[in-house]
Amino acid sequence: MEDDPKLVQRCLAGENSAWEDLLKLHTRKIFNLCYRFTGRPSEAEDLTQEIFIKIFQTLRSYDVAQGTFATWLSRVARNHLVDHYRRTKKERLTSSLDDEEDGVIERTPSLGPGPGAQVESRERKELLQMGLDKLSPDLREAVILRDLNDLDYDEIARVLGVPPGTVKSRINRGRLELARVLKRMEGMRGPAKAGGDA
Amino acid sequence: MTHLELENLASDYLEGQLDAVRRAEFEAHSAECAPCRELVADLRNVMELCKSAEDLEPAPWLVPKILLATIGERKPTFGEQLAAYFRPAARVRMAYAVAMAVFSFSIIVNTAGINLRHLTFEDLNPRTWFYQANRTGHLAVARAEKFYYDLRVVYEIESRLRQFQQQPGQGDGQQERETPKPEAPAGGTTDSKQPDNPELAEVRGLMKTNTGSNRALTYPAEGTRSSLR
Repeated sequence: MEDDPKLVQRCLAGENSAWEDLLKLHTRKIFNLCYRFTGRPSEAEDLTQEIFIKIFQTLRSYDVAQGTFATWLSRVARNHLVDHYRRTKKERLTSSLDDEEDGVIERTPSLGPGPGAQVESRERKELLQMGLDKLSPDLREAVILRDLNDLDYDEIARVLGVPPGTVKSRINRGRLELARVLKRMEGMRGPAKAGGDA
Repeated sequence: MTHLELENLASDYLEGQLDAVRRAEFEAHSAECAPCRELVADLRNVMELCKSAEDLEPAPWLVPKILLATIGERKPTFGEQLAAYFRPAARVRMAYAVAMAVFSFSIIVNTAGINLRHLTFEDLNPRTWFYQANRTGHLAVARAEKFYYDLRVVYEIESRLRQFQQQPGQGDGQQERETPKPEAPAGGTTDSKQPDNPELAEVRGLMKTNTGSNRALTYPAEGTRSSLR
């Protein structure tokens, strides 16, 4: 598959196949970004679709000088996610977490480690996602972009539109906060597990 | 280095972004301070947890759904059109029908005696097809008939020979007891008209007759055969 600048050029020239290739290249990454933000696969799918529609409509505004296509895409996705977060803040406060697991188990690859390891891996994923949900949006997006999306500090600074120093600080605070939250959650899980085992 | 400074620099330390001096100060403090050491360990765990978290696979319909929402119904490419055109051929029923058609065609061609490698104008004439088919049919019937008679004759000869070989032992004893064996004519001549053993003569006659043509073979009358048994 070609690299992003060529695909973008072909997209702008009206080649549908290039748009399809771009989608195939970036859907997974954007979907996971959305999932880390929302914690719900169905919501992440809807958001991914909305983001790519936005990208399709504003593709002409993409300027190579602003950075790579992936960075621009992440920035658009992040802005959309923040908007979505603000829009649904009230709903989230009142809604239950009934569909927390929908689709996650089914789509986890069945090949690989044995059942025990799979359960452990799933538990770890759930724990991480629950921990991320507890962070404030600023800290959460910084941690996600750095530790889950593997972006470097400069790229994150461009995506978030803040100075690199702020990015560094947010990432550090986010990690510390996440560590505290996970520790608290594990502490709560531990006695419950012990009680269940007894 | 204070606790707060260490907390602020913890990520930089774990990512290897501290210079040598700051790094030494960091390590010196964490070696002395248990809560700070624990904090660094927790932070390291979080980073490892994030690194080990696998990506989720988006649903397979997501990309087609986005394509439909952006560029609408996509026109199939030439390759896809070609594949769609030949797709019915891949189906089992279609393949079976084609195989049967090829098989039938090969039978017709063989029956009509047409050599596809050396096709002549004469081969395309329906009269030739009819003639060849007729000939092939007759040949096949004749071969089948011959085969059938061969089987029958061989069976008859074998069974009678077996019968003949078994009979003398049993028959001699019986004949000796029941009727005295007539004396052989002087010189021990064996006349075909008056054989010493009529059954053997019959087998010989059968074999002689069969040497010419199988179809000309004459079988003993029903009464004789039953008496042989």
